[in-house]
Amino acid sequence: MNLSQYMVIGRYIPGNSYIHLLDARSKLIFVFLYIFLVFLTNSILGYLILLSFIIIGILISKIPISYYVKGIMPIFLIILFTIILHLTTNKAGDLVFQWKWIEIYSQGIEQAVFITLRLLILVIIASMLTLTTSPIDLTMGLERILNPLKRVNLPIHELALMMSISLRFIPTLVDEADKIMKAQKARGANFETGPIHKRVINMIAIIIPLFISAFKRADELAIAMESRGYRGGEGRTRLRVSVFTWRDLLLLLIFSVLLITILSIRGL
Amino acid sequence: MNNRIRIMTEIAIIAALAVLLNAIKVYEAPFGGSVSLVMVPIFLLAFRRGIVPAIIAGALTGTIKIILGAYIVHPVQFLLDYPVAFALLGFAGIVKINKNLSLKQKSIYLTIGIIFASSLRLLSHFVSGVIWFGQYAPENMNVYLYSLLYNLYYLVPEMIISIIVSIFIINKIPNFFIREDN
Repeated sequence: MNLSQYMVIGRYIPGNSYIHLLDARSKLIFVFLYIFLVFLTNSILGYLILLSFIIIGILISKIPISYYVKGIMPIFLIILFTIILHLTTNKAGDLVFQWKWIEIYSQGIEQAVFITLRLLILVIIASMLTLTTSPIDLTMGLERILNPLKRVNLPIHELALMMSISLRFIPTLVDEADKIMKAQKARGANFETGPIHKRVINMIAIIIPLFISAFKRADELAIAMESRGYRGGEGRTRLRVSVFTWRDLLLLLIFSVLLITILSIRGL
Repeated sequence: MNNRIRIMTEIAIIAALAVLLNAIKVYEAPFGGSVSLVMVPIFLLAFRRGIVPAIIAGALTGTIKIILGAYIVHPVQFLLDYPVAFALLGFAGIVKINKNLSLKQKSIYLTIGIIFASSLRLLSHFVSGVIWFGQYAPENMNVYLYSLLYNLYYLVPEMIISIIVSIFIINKIPNFFIREDN
């Protein structure tokens, strides 16, 4: 087992589609508002509109559909479970289907479709954000959106910096863990088979060296930062600064159209 | 040495370690719940640096999990299941483990801290489950019982494994995880 191969951390797929090139701030705000739009919608027609919008988004993003399907898998069982619950317990409306003791009513079907659409839309829109935006861009976007909170003494810059350091060190630690695992395997440790208590005890042989090296890295990094004169966020500049473009304006326009459509359907 | 910068880098690296351990499944239960050592780094930081840095490390872990791809089914659910649930683990630092304690006392203190913090995490997942599953479940279903059982189902094994591993670590390398300020 090669740890760095079997462990996929993050799902970002680089690209240069319209969605990739949007400012991270616009994408974050859009997804946030879109989720509220989903909860504002109360009809299957509304959900079909929101879903077709997402399908267009998937096509524009130029990311293979299989990646989105992978994002749905963790909640697939939950969706299935909810569908079965609604189909079997909701006895309102007309009787549509009957086989032995199984009776399915029209309202049950309606509820099941409603919930499936809602869950699918929510999960796919979140996947789309993480598939098309790199974690570092998202962190920077979050920092700039939350920047006003500095006024109430929240250390937004420090939090964002810690997040960037974390993201930067995850691959390093993965490599490190991989090396330690191989070293312990060469000494005869077994992590894949055997009873669970044995595997947990074997894990300790990885975790202790990992902890010691992690703290060593933290210490070295702190010394390096201090010797380079790090003194917090005040007056710090960036190598790359993203700016709003026509793309972000277009996104705002698209959202307004969606909002008006959803509100008018709701009013019907 | 500027202690503030050192604490910041430790928080960041501990969060990275938690995200890494989160991906190594000790065992996988059916229906999605999986058991990993994700909580251990946050607990150990809580014993080393106290409650506040550990809370920040936990919140970072949760936020990074979202950025790397999480499932969101409800606006409140996503806050409670990720940043809040992991931030609450920092409360393991209510117990103070110092050098003068015997091996047995250290283990008992550590267990109390971990059980307390895990219960807070359970509470967060439980409330989240009631809120979001309540939106989707049929009206006659007992959402409270379902949410409690579902979360206990993977959190209890995860907590037990975390306690065992933490006791091992704190006895092997005690100097790393004992509060320096007392």
